Amino acid sequence: MLRVLVQRLLLLPFLLAVFSIAVFALVQAPPGGFLTSYVSMLASSGSSISEEQVEALRRQFGLDQPFHVRYVRWVENLVRGDLGLSLEYQRPNAELIHQYLLLTVLLALFSFVLTWAIAIPAGIYSATHPRSWVDYALTVMNYVGVAIPNFMLALVLMWIAFSRFGISVTGLFSPEYVQAPWTLGRVTDLLTHIWLPTIVLGIAGTARLTRVMRANLLDELHKPYVVTARAKGLSEWRLVLKYPVRVAINPLVSTIGWYLPQLFSGSLIVATVMNLPNIGPLLLRALIQQDTYLAGSVLMIYCFFTVVGTLISDLLLAWVDPRIRMEG
Amino acid sequence: MRRKLLNGTSHCLMLFMAVLLVLGVGTQAPTPPPVLAQASKYKEAPMLAALVKAGKLPPVAQRLPEDPLVVDTIEGIGQYGGVWRRGFLGPSDFNNVHRIVYDALVRYSPDGTKVEPKYASSVTPSKDFTAWTVRLRKGAKWSDGSPFTADDIMFWYNDVLLNKDLTPAPPVWMKNHDGSPVAVQRVDDITVRWTYKEPSTTFMMELANKDSGDRQYACFLPAHYLKQFHAKYAEKAKLDQMVAAAKFKTWVELFAAKAHPPENPDRPVMAAWVAKTRVSEQLFVLRRNPYYVGVDKAGNQLPYIDTVQFKFFADPQSLNLAAIAGQLDEQERHIILGNYPVLKEHEKDGKYRVILWQGFGGADADVTFNETYTKDPDLGRLLQNRDFRIAMSYAINRNQIKESAFLGLGEPRQPVAAPWSPYYPGNAYAQKYTEYRPDEANRILDRIGLDKKDGEGFRLFPGSNRRVTVELSVVPVFGPWPDVAQLIAKDWERVGIKAIVQIRERSLHFQMRQSNDLQAEIWNQDTAGFPFTGTPKYDPRTILYGTITIGPLWKQWYDTGGKEGVEPPAAAKRLVELIDRAKTADPKEQARDAQEIFKVWVDNMFEIGTVGLTPMDQGVAVVNVHMHNVPTKLGKDWPLRTPGNARTEQFYYK
Repeated sequence: MLRVLVQRLLLLPFLLAVFSIAVFALVQAPPGGFLTSYVSMLASSGSSISEEQVEALRRQFGLDQPFHVRYVRWVENLVRGDLGLSLEYQRPNAELIHQYLLLTVLLALFSFVLTWAIAIPAGIYSATHPRSWVDYALTVMNYVGVAIPNFMLALVLMWIAFSRFGISVTGLFSPEYVQAPWTLGRVTDLLTHIWLPTIVLGIAGTARLTRVMRANLLDELHKPYVVTARAKGLSEWRLVLKYPVRVAINPLVSTIGWYLPQLFSGSLIVATVMNLPNIGPLLLRALIQQDTYLAGSVLMIYCFFTVVGTLISDLLLAWVDPRIRMEG
Repeated sequence: MRRKLLNGTSHCLMLFMAVLLVLGVGTQAPTPPPVLAQASKYKEAPMLAALVKAGKLPPVAQRLPEDPLVVDTIEGIGQYGGVWRRGFLGPSDFNNVHRIVYDALVRYSPDGTKVEPKYASSVTPSKDFTAWTVRLRKGAKWSDGSPFTADDIMFWYNDVLLNKDLTPAPPVWMKNHDGSPVAVQRVDDITVRWTYKEPSTTFMMELANKDSGDRQYACFLPAHYLKQFHAKYAEKAKLDQMVAAAKFKTWVELFAAKAHPPENPDRPVMAAWVAKTRVSEQLFVLRRNPYYVGVDKAGNQLPYIDTVQFKFFADPQSLNLAAIAGQLDEQERHIILGNYPVLKEHEKDGKYRVILWQGFGGADADVTFNETYTKDPDLGRLLQNRDFRIAMSYAINRNQIKESAFLGLGEPRQPVAAPWSPYYPGNAYAQKYTEYRPDEANRILDRIGLDKKDGEGFRLFPGSNRRVTVELSVVPVFGPWPDVAQLIAKDWERVGIKAIVQIRERSLHFQMRQSNDLQAEIWNQDTAGFPFTGTPKYDPRTILYGTITIGPLWKQWYDTGGKEGVEPPAAAKRLVELIDRAKTADPKEQARDAQEIFKVWVDNMFEIGTVGLTPMDQGVAVVNVHMHNVPTKLGKDWPLRTPGNARTEQFYYK
């Protein structure tokens, strides 16, 4: 077990090195560069800057250097824990990511908790009452939940909220609280805004989780040990919760590690559509603007979490399921 | 109904603006500035009065200069207070802020036809227009209360413009014909003189745009504050430490960031509002400047509105949704023309009114052919053929474009100045080749050797079986350009020219402009009011980024002194000659030169205009019903810093 862990950890830097090249190359891949995006953006809002200025900017941003020089510079800084400077914001990337981190994690946690809190009971109920009307209703809802793209759902809900109730539900705060310090008022304000994005982000996961839980539990419920327990006169609830649920939930628990990168990613499209102040729109914008260092740094953190999350998942799986051996 | 209404407005506007004012030189035909009813007692905002009472701020009379800027109000004297909510799209959208504060020594009038004093009390040319004397307001102060003097201009000149690190090459307006920098001297504490080697008659127009717009250096900088970030004045160790802390590589980057007001709330400004947060935050907030030099006629210190608040939107459509919901108080930037019907529909909710500010001339969608296209020599030759371009213009059904893409707004025209401009070349030119005459187009195309067609009715290149195919590249920014492109492609197909519409991402399109890979593109012509200042699209030598490309390789020819690229045709050379001459001509001759530029432009069909004078580009203004002094008619363009030229400091809530 320990040997596997050490092996994996030794592999980590190598993996990240490969990722860093891929990430940097991908961010650079579109034609043009940050400067083209920058100038074209100015032009698309009615202004155009002189040639001398474009040249000055090119030098200032260090964009006159060849690809490999820029890459090496970036990686050197990464290794030192320095995420570099965002071209567009002209501010340190670490500062920007930090600014959005709390709300990103908070939102992901909210939708994670909501998903589990709804899906597990619903899955258990469906499995213990198969082919009841509740089961059918849940099944229909699950299929719908999985089928609707969540940004579409966000748009529809936003439109309903606006046309029916006249409220615009974009963002996570009312204007007066956007930059206020954390007070009870701000927390309350956040709670009034966060439920809609939470639902939108959680709905597909909830649907998937419910189905998996239902299927796993259905397999368990007809096993001999359950029949035996029932014959010995255990109450139905205790019987279901004591063993079958624990066995059925195993595969779900073992994938918890995969939530780690999701906590950080901030669901790009939904966040952009709903104007949420988290990492999603920051990354999307950086990619569109070809803000190489910002996009690269965010993606590197994302890769890091993916690798670590997978490792955690493997370890959890080994720990909860005795059938898995970590040798050889 | 709507169309009738709009035509009515545009005619009124023409009458209203038909007064030919001499552009740029306010000294020739001075309109008397508004005067104070009584200069005895100035009044101030309650917010500031409280600070004065608490002893935290000097009294208003001491904060204002001896001769404050008296601002004419649109409807009347306003009231203090309130928050102006606006939306913006992030840190690169800093021009959104520059348009609101319009932080310059002189500024364009609301109609955009003349330049008026702002922080400068007067700008006076010498008789031969070689020397320009700028006089500041005595006793004017920066937002931190320090004096605003000639030294602030001299700091910009000596330590920023003439500093090779900060300004590798001086900008065009600060260069004499021989390439040497224009001389700037300090006359006294509040007077500075620019001296050119040749006459310069565009000085006022240039000065009106030296305001930090486009993240460039304004020509007046708070020397007392910025010296700490300048290598010449700062202690090296300390400066290096600041550069490293901000993750910059050189002091030049640090200086640029510190000098740009939206990025640095600590930087003193002269504008009516001062930044309190940074443009890279979710909420960018500006608060009133207690030292602002402007007052209304009754002696109330401006601005009326306390706070301007920019809310970040990740995407323009969600900004538009906020506007429809009445959550923005005055917003024209990023409002999409296609949403005009929805906005009109929700006007009845009673939260806002919609005002349309029409364009300042030019065209809101036009086709440009690349006349130096080399990848396909046959096509390249065809695109250079003036008759071909005229045929393509006749083949376009502009009324259909106006009705379906522009919601019936604007009018079919070529990309020339607006009718109320002294540069207007006349109706004959504005409408030349704009009639829908497909038969004439067919006749011309037959005549120039494209008379052979394939089985599907498309024309073939002379002496070959190759179909003439033009790729029309279009970017979905500004307005309904992809729709316009599709309509044009259909019109061209009717006369046997195959057009492929390519909708491209902005950066890619720009990259292709640079690399001479575009065959034809759709863009707008918004430099018609300013054909020889800034970076006009009429000048073949201007940068390709951000300007249309009539011939990328002509530009190369000019850049390399004729060593590389392609020699431009006589007509393009004529444009360059006229543009250069206009910069030193007296105002009357300047207007004649401008008209001539437009005539050459249209005669040669360098750019095929479709529909112009629409409010497409930042002209659909959503205004809170409680906000007053917002003009219903306004010149609208980037050089005018619209809505800045509407004098935003006199907007108020009732």
